[in-house]
Amino acid sequence: MKAKEKLIEEKKVPPPTPTAPQNATSVVGVSKRFGNTSVLEDITFDVAEGEALVLLGASGSGKTTILRIIAGLEQPYTGKVILHGREVTELPARERGVGVIFQSYALFPKMTVEKNIGYGLRIRKRKRKEIRETVNALLKLVQLEEHRKKYPSQLSGGQQQRVAIARTLAYKPEVLLFDEPFGALDTQTRHHLRREIRALLRKVNVPAIFITHDQEEALELGDRVAVLNKGHIEQIGTPFEIYNHPATEYVATFLGAANLLEAVVRNSSLEYGKTRIAAELDRERFKDGACVKIVFRPEDVFLSKSEFIKPGHHKISSAVVEEISFVGAYERVRLRLEKNGGDDCATDDQFFLTTDTPESQSVKSIIATRPKPEASSTRLRVGERVVVAITSFTVLPSSESK
Amino acid sequence: MRHVRGFDVVRPLSIGMLVFMMMPLVFLPLASIFIFGTSNGLGKFWAALMAPEAVFALKLSMATSFWATVFNVLFGLFAAYVLSRYNFWGRNALIVTISLPTAIPTAVAGFALLLLWGPYGTLGRFLAPQGIQVMFTAGAIILANVFVTFPLAFGVIKPVFDTMNRSLEEASATIGATRWQTFWHVTLPSLRGAIVSGALLTFARAVGEFGSTILVSGNLAGHTQTAPLYIFAKFNEGQIEAANAIAIVLALFSFLIFSVLFFARDWLDVD
Repeated sequence: MKAKEKLIEEKKVPPPTPTAPQNATSVVGVSKRFGNTSVLEDITFDVAEGEALVLLGASGSGKTTILRIIAGLEQPYTGKVILHGREVTELPARERGVGVIFQSYALFPKMTVEKNIGYGLRIRKRKRKEIRETVNALLKLVQLEEHRKKYPSQLSGGQQQRVAIARTLAYKPEVLLFDEPFGALDTQTRHHLRREIRALLRKVNVPAIFITHDQEEALELGDRVAVLNKGHIEQIGTPFEIYNHPATEYVATFLGAANLLEAVVRNSSLEYGKTRIAAELDRERFKDGACVKIVFRPEDVFLSKSEFIKPGHHKISSAVVEEISFVGAYERVRLRLEKNGGDDCATDDQFFLTTDTPESQSVKSIIATRPKPEASSTRLRVGERVVVAITSFTVLPSSESK
Repeated sequence: MRHVRGFDVVRPLSIGMLVFMMMPLVFLPLASIFIFGTSNGLGKFWAALMAPEAVFALKLSMATSFWATVFNVLFGLFAAYVLSRYNFWGRNALIVTISLPTAIPTAVAGFALLLLWGPYGTLGRFLAPQGIQVMFTAGAIILANVFVTFPLAFGVIKPVFDTMNRSLEEASATIGATRWQTFWHVTLPSLRGAIVSGALLTFARAVGEFGSTILVSGNLAGHTQTAPLYIFAKFNEGQIEAANAIAIVLALFSFLIFSVLFFARDWLDVD
């Protein structure tokens, strides 16, 4: 036991060399089964030093299992976990040196705040003086100095979370793993804590992996976001990339509202009904005559009362305003697209609409949102005919999404 | 059923009824022990209490109950850990078996022990030729105490184990603690209250044990006679005062234990 503990300490001695950037955490080809059900398939990703990666997925997507596999609380079926170049797949949780911030924080109820924070050092048999100094520094870092003698039950949710973070920072973790860190908190506190944790992570420069089902949280917290669906990674990229250039229909619809339209590839551009939409297409991926889906966000829709379309905007079709609702910061307009000719890919469900939920509905409508200035300069009425243009969009192969 | 002027009639009535019912059932029997025991003056009471056989009986009761308690708390802790952490075939059968001794008449328990360890018992007959005598010793009393108080500590500790937040132990492991460190620093402190109350219950029950003890101990005054056996023996000999002195001590003792259990609950479960 002694020898093993020593191993942990020795491994910490060489600091990562700045010249050769090394991944703080790598998950390579990890899969996991419970009985006959496969919960994870070939999960691979890296987390760079100081980076925050968010694993975003609905419940049952396997995100918690990934976290537990990295922490050593669960064994993968295949694949490897590498922390700072050291393969830890076979190591038990206590020899990995990762910091897990559990959803319930899992603070030790019979220990005071300072005892909780010092726990990792006490079990490593560090000198009293060293423990005291580290605990003092961490209490200062998380601003809980006046609460040091309190028990966890006497603290607020946010304070408990800070204790949980400090408790892991005490032993200089390889990586911090946050399991649904804001799940148990109200919206106000949530927003506040998100910023607080971001600031704290930048200060301590420890890589972090968050798991969440909240897309807004993912976009705000992550340097990069990995979108999980049914045990595999759909897309991994910066918040900007995954929001604006979703690689799959799932990603498009999971991250906020998205409109989907069926179109055909013709002469390296798109044809929606009789409208031709110029697009730069990957010729290999999108062959002539192939059916594709055009994905665009409600805020990428531009509505015009005249046929005049601004340069750079792509005219789609004309439409009738079905419903206008005021949603605070913006106006939301539901439109019924008017059919404008034959379409090779047309099905009965020609138009797709997704709202805030990932399920797409086969309503022949699209949603547009308009900021206040635009809404007030061009007022619309229900039943009015408008021209619909989109400012930016993503093209996805039609078959892949099924 | 509130009175028009805001005076609740039911309240004092029901409280009075409760106390009245408890009078002949609990209060008066207890009170008579004290009234009788001290009716001839405290000096006599003290003399009866200080009789060598009485002192020995009390000491023996305390010692045997103590060791039975130590064993059963440790065993209960271990059994609760195994039975709440691991799911295996026959787990429920084990839980039922552990709980069984509460339902078995104590005389039957004592008899069963005799049949096992007695000179002609299943095991005892092999030990007797070696000169090993288990029955009719202080050890036999401990065995009997262990048997009849077997499920008490387990019964208090297991529910706490069952409801314990597993992520505490997982957190401890990720922080770097060994299983033993986790058990010592994280699991055990959460069980403190359950362990103390389980121990007090076991001890109180063991001190008062009569039915099984009288069968396995041999009831030899100054050797294997526990306090309850002493009361019974002295009563049979017509020495009511001697019996009464010990009865008072045992009554006060159980009163003390249950007061601790009741009033220290908050302290035991303090966060």
